[in-house]
Amino acid sequence: MLTVGDAFPQFTCHACNGLTQNDLISLNSESFGDKWKLFIFYPKDFTFVCPTELVEFGKRNADFADRDVQLIGGSTDNEFSHLAWRQSHEDLATLPYPLIAAQKLANDLGITTDEGVCLRATFLVDPNGVIQWASVNNLSVGRSVEETLRVIDAVQSDELCPCNWKKGEATLSV
Amino acid sequence: MSQLDAIRNALPDAAKDLKLNLQAVLRPENLTGPQTWGTAIACSFFLKEAELADAIIADARADGASEELIDDARAAAAIMGMNTVFYRFRHLVEKPGYAQVPARLRMTRMAQPKTDKVTFELMSMGCAVLAGCGLCIQSHEASILKHGLAESHVNDAVRIASVLAGVAVALAMDA
Repeated sequence: MLTVGDAFPQFTCHACNGLTQNDLISLNSESFGDKWKLFIFYPKDFTFVCPTELVEFGKRNADFADRDVQLIGGSTDNEFSHLAWRQSHEDLATLPYPLIAAQKLANDLGITTDEGVCLRATFLVDPNGVIQWASVNNLSVGRSVEETLRVIDAVQSDELCPCNWKKGEATLSV
Repeated sequence: MSQLDAIRNALPDAAKDLKLNLQAVLRPENLTGPQTWGTAIACSFFLKEAELADAIIADARADGASEELIDDARAAAAIMGMNTVFYRFRHLVEKPGYAQVPARLRMTRMAQPKTDKVTFELMSMGCAVLAGCGLCIQSHEASILKHGLAESHVNDAVRIASVLAGVAVALAMDA
């Protein structure tokens, strides 16, 4: 499995970004410009733990947006399955981020199980495409949005001010 | 009449030196026009002088200053409002333990200037001088020189900060 410091794989994926056929789109590594990206992988559409978790992330979308983070959900299901799931589940109707069909990407990341589904893996990718946080939960364990935001704050909070300077330092890395 | 001229004319006679200095320091010499305006705007924000800031921004816009420059000045003043408190504490307490723990304060905007790094540093320099922290001043001065400017540029930024501080005092008087 890829981890912190690795380049996130280049990808082009079909995705479902709404409730109609017109919301079936294609996304790639460049789709979100210089935003940070948080990939939330889950095992299967139409299961029970997954929507709760995805919906919780969706409810806090503004907090992620404040941190310049684009949320992206994904599993090894295809985009039509994502669409059918979103149409059939009230809480997923207003999900404010896309779900990608990540068959190849999940393999490239090394997060598929023997059954071929995604582990409950989370990747934080910086604007340069480098993984800054990678975490995997057992399939039965949901993720914490608060913990995710805490990690993002910590990763993004470099002490960038020259005031963070200790007397005697010859050079500054600013 | 420019908005800054109106401010200058509102200064009491006793502060005539400030009136003349204000005009002089905003006339770019070593710094570029945008660097001069940017530093002045950031300092006026840092001084919480809304009326002064409005006037400087109006004249800066009339002189072609970009919205990006003004936004960088907002960012620099706000972040330096935080950092000159936090890091001044670290500098003044003089106990190494505090420097070993992460600040856990976001300051990402510092790394994303909409204009350029050295302009943002000049704005920060003005704020550091106004806050009066020795190590903050030393570190921002070193950073500006590292970005290729000279002591004369730093000196101009400090003159701008000093004059605006004096103008703010004078403006608060009954004329």
